Amino acid sequence: MELLVSELSVEQEQPVQPRVPLEPEEFARLYEEHSRAIYYLALRFLGDPQKAEDATHDVFLKVYRKFNEFRGESSLRTWLYRITINHCHNLRQSWQNRNLVTTADESVWENTAGPAESPLRVLETKELGERIQKALDGLSAEYRLLLLLVADAELSYDEIAELTKQSADAVRGKLHRARKAFAVLFQQTA
Amino acid sequence: MKRQTKHSSQEQEQLSEVGAQQTSPLEFASAKELLQHDAGQTVVPPEIAERLARSIQNEPKPARSWWRRFLDR
Repeated sequence: MELLVSELSVEQEQPVQPRVPLEPEEFARLYEEHSRAIYYLALRFLGDPQKAEDATHDVFLKVYRKFNEFRGESSLRTWLYRITINHCHNLRQSWQNRNLVTTADESVWENTAGPAESPLRVLETKELGERIQKALDGLSAEYRLLLLLVADAELSYDEIAELTKQSADAVRGKLHRARKAFAVLFQQTA
Repeated sequence: MKRQTKHSSQEQEQLSEVGAQQTSPLEFASAKELLQHDAGQTVVPPEIAERLARSIQNEPKPARSWWRRFLDR
C-alpha cells in the first residue's frame, strides 16, 4: 500500500510537458469541435451577436497563440471556457466602467415564489432566442453564467465550480435560485 | 357528378387535430433543457472562421524547435 501511494505521488510530481504549437489542421479541428459552445456562451452572456462574434474570434486567436501553455490539467473545453469567461468579464467590466451595464440584484429572487421546476412552454419558436436573451439579461452576470455553463452537458459541477471559483455546493445552491429566477423572467417575456 | 366542396365532419375533425398539433406548445422540463435546445439551434457565423484565418495568416511563424532544425540540416 505504501508503495502504491509513493508511486502515485511520484507520478503526480512529474512535470507536465507543455504542448507544442498547434498545426493549422489541428486548430481547424479544435475550432470545429468547440466554436459553437464558445460562440453560444459569448452570445448569451454578452447579449449582442456582433460582440459575441468579436469575442469568439479573439478567444480562438488567443487559443492559437497560447496553446503551448495548455498543460492538460483540465479538459480542453474547460480551458477554452476559462479564456472565454475572462474575456467576456473584461468586456463587461469595461462597459460597466462606462456605465453601459446595470447589474441585477440577486436578492430579489431569494423569496420569490416561482415555477422553478415547472415546465417552460413555448408557442412560437421564431422568437424563442429573443425571449431567452431577455430573461437572461434580467439575471445577474453570475446567475447567467452558471445557467449557461450547466447547459453544456460536457461540463461537470466540479468543473463549473472551478471555472467560477467556488465550491460545487455553492454552485448547486446558486443554480437552484438562478433556475427559479430564469423561469419567472422567461414567463414574463411571453 | 357533383364535386364535394365541403369537408365532412370527420375530415374537419382531422384537420382541426392537425391544426392543434401545429400550434401545440414546445415544452421544456427545465431552463437547462431550454438552453440546450437554444444552443443546438445556434449557428456560428461563418465570418468568424474567415476572420480567424486572416488573423492567423498575419501571426508570426513560431520558431522551429532545436530538433526540427537538427533534422532539417
